[in-house]
Amino acid sequence: MAAIEMRNIVKQYGDGFPAVNDVSIDVEDGEFVILVGPSGCGKSTLLRMIVGLEDITSGDMIIDGDRVNDKAPRDRNLAMVFQNYALYPHLTVYENIAFPLRLSKKFSDQEIDEKVRAASKTLELDEHLERKPGNLSGGQRQRVAMGRAIVREAKAFLFDEPLSNLDAKLRGQMRTEISRLQKRLGITTVYVTHDQTEAMTLGDRVAVLKSGLLQQLATPRELYEHPVNLFVAGFIGSPPMNFLPAKVNGDEVELPFGKVKIPKEKAEKAQGKGLLIAGIRPEHFDDASVVEESKKQHGSTFKAKVDVVEWLGNEAYAYIPYEAGSEAKEQLQQLEKDLEGESLRSQLVVSLDSASEIQEGDEAEIYVDTTAMHLFDPESGENLTVGI
Amino acid sequence: MRQKLGPSTIIGMIAILFWCLLPVVWIIMLSFKPEAETAAGSPQFLPKDWSWENYQSVLQDDLFQRALINSFGISLIATVLSVMIATLTAYAIARLEFRGKRVVLSIALAIAMFPVVSLVGPLFDMWRSLGLYDTWPGLIIPYMSFTLPLAIWTLTAFFREIPWEMEQAAQVDGATSWQAFRKVIVPLAAPGVFTAAILTFFFAWNDFVFGISLTSTEAARPVPAALAFFVGPDQFNPPYSTLSAAAVVVTVPIIVIVLLFQRKIVAGLTSGAVKG
Repeated sequence: MAAIEMRNIVKQYGDGFPAVNDVSIDVEDGEFVILVGPSGCGKSTLLRMIVGLEDITSGDMIIDGDRVNDKAPRDRNLAMVFQNYALYPHLTVYENIAFPLRLSKKFSDQEIDEKVRAASKTLELDEHLERKPGNLSGGQRQRVAMGRAIVREAKAFLFDEPLSNLDAKLRGQMRTEISRLQKRLGITTVYVTHDQTEAMTLGDRVAVLKSGLLQQLATPRELYEHPVNLFVAGFIGSPPMNFLPAKVNGDEVELPFGKVKIPKEKAEKAQGKGLLIAGIRPEHFDDASVVEESKKQHGSTFKAKVDVVEWLGNEAYAYIPYEAGSEAKEQLQQLEKDLEGESLRSQLVVSLDSASEIQEGDEAEIYVDTTAMHLFDPESGENLTVGI
Repeated sequence: MRQKLGPSTIIGMIAILFWCLLPVVWIIMLSFKPEAETAAGSPQFLPKDWSWENYQSVLQDDLFQRALINSFGISLIATVLSVMIATLTAYAIARLEFRGKRVVLSIALAIAMFPVVSLVGPLFDMWRSLGLYDTWPGLIIPYMSFTLPLAIWTLTAFFREIPWEMEQAAQVDGATSWQAFRKVIVPLAAPGVFTAAILTFFFAWNDFVFGISLTSTEAARPVPAALAFFVGPDQFNPPYSTLSAAAVVVTVPIIVIVLLFQRKIVAGLTSGAVKG
C-alpha cells in the first residue's frame, strides 16, 4: 500500500500534442481516486503513466516515496485491470490468477495455492478455476481480471474502465463489488472511467479532466455542489445542469423566462460583468404548487409553458423550451461540444415532485431555488459564485 | 450451422478424392507387388500376391537407412533453427518500430521468390571452397534461407493478431519482456509457430534439387536424392516395386506430422482473450 503523487505530469506525443498537460494529483494511501472525463481527455494515458506503460515526458511520478519515472512496470508493483480484461487465453482461470505469483518466484506452490483459493473465494470463482477464460461470461472474466489484481500484495490497484464492456445490470453489481472490495482491502486505487455514475459513487475524490488538463479534484459532493467551471458543472450530474444566458442587475437576475432574485453575496460577485451564464440544476426547480411556503422564501417563481413531461415514478422531468438569444450561444455550443452532447434546441430541464400534476402543454408556475444558482463567466467559463 | 450436403456436392467430392488419391493408391499397390509382377508388361492394379518383401529390402538397405537419417536430421535441424529465428524476427517486426523494417520484409519476400535452380550452381562452387559440400550444414543453410521468409511472414501475421494488452498485462504482473514473450506471446502464437514449422519441414523433407546437387556420398544425401540412385542390378529396369515401397516410407512421416499438428494449427487459441 502506498501513496501516489503526480507532480506536473506532462505527456507529449511525437507530434507535440500534449495528451496530458501539467497534471498534479496526490492520491493518499488507501484512497479511491477516480479519473473522469470525456474520451480523449487523457485519463487513460495518465493511468498508463502511473503503471509505466507510457513514458512520462516531464514531471515526477512518485509512488511510496520513490520516483518511478524510469522504472519498468514490473518494478512498480502495481496491479492493473484492463478494459478488455487481457486474460491469458491459454491458461486456466487458476493459472491466470496465479500468473503474477509464479513470476515473482517468491512463493512455494502451496503458498500460491492458498492465495489463489483465497482470491477465488472472495470473487466467487471457485467453480470456474479449471476453466479457460474463453468459456466464461463477461462478468466472470471481469472477476478473473480482478482476481489477478488482488492476489498479489500490490502497492495500488489501477482500473482502466473495467466495467465498460458489461451490460447495465452487471455493471451496477460489479460497481458495488469493487467498492466493497476496495474498502475491505483498504488499498490505494486509481480508477479511470467516462461514466459519471461510477465516478460519483465509487470515488473518495474525483479528478475531472478535459483535453489533458485537470479541471477540478474534489469529493463527489463538492464537484456536484461547487463546480469550479462550466465544464465540470455540465459534466457532473444527470440530467445535466441547465445553462441560461443571464444579466445581473442589483440582486436581480434576468433570465430568458423572467427576472428572479438571488442572494446578495452571489449578486455582489457578479456585478458589472455584463452577460453571464447562469447554471441551475434540474432539481432546484419544482412545481410551485407543491413547494412548501417556508422553502418558497429563498426562491422565485415564474410562469412557463411545459413542452414535454417525462414521468419516472419517483419524480418527473418537464422540458420547457426558450429562446436563448444569440449572445451566449457560441459559448454554450462550444460547451456542448466539449461534453460530447448533441442538444438540438435550447430548453430547460425541470425536475418535478412526483405529486405534481403539471401536464404536457400546461402553462405552469415553476419555482426556482435561486440560492443554488451558479453564475459563470462566459469567456473563461469560471464559476464566479464558487463556494457560496 | 451445419449445412446438409446435396448429392451434387457429394459426387463432386468423390471425384476430387478419386483424382487426388489415385496416384497414391497406385504407389501403395505397386509397393506390395513382388518384383516379378511389376516387370511384366502392364501390371494389374491389385497385387496378385501381397508381400512385405519390398519394405523389408528397402528398410534393410544401408544406403536408404543412412539417407533416412540424413533427411530426418537435416530437416529437423533446419526446421528448429528456422522457426526460432523466424519467431524472434517476426516478433520484432510486429511489435517494434525500427529503421529498415520494410527492407527486412521486402528482402525476405525477394528471397522467397528467387528460383532455387539459379542458386544451385553458385552454391555448389561456394560450398566446395568452403568445405560445406556434402555435409549436413551444407543443406541446412539453403533450406533455412528458403523457408525463413515464409515463416517470418506467417508468424508476423500471427503476432499482429495478438492484442497488445496481453503483453502489457504480463509486464504489469511482473514479467520481463522476455518472460512476457515466452509465457504469453509464444503460447498464443502456437498455431502460427506450428504452421511455420510444418511448412519448413515439408520444404526440407521434399527437396530434391539441393539434395542431389550439393551432396556426393551418403554422408549427407537425403532420401529424395538417394531414391534417384536406387537402381537395381539392371539399370534399364529399375526396381519399381522397391522404389514405391521407399516412396511410401518417405511419405508416412509427413502424414503423421500433419495429423498430429492439425488440431494445433486449426485451434483458434486466441478466442476469449479479450472481449470480442
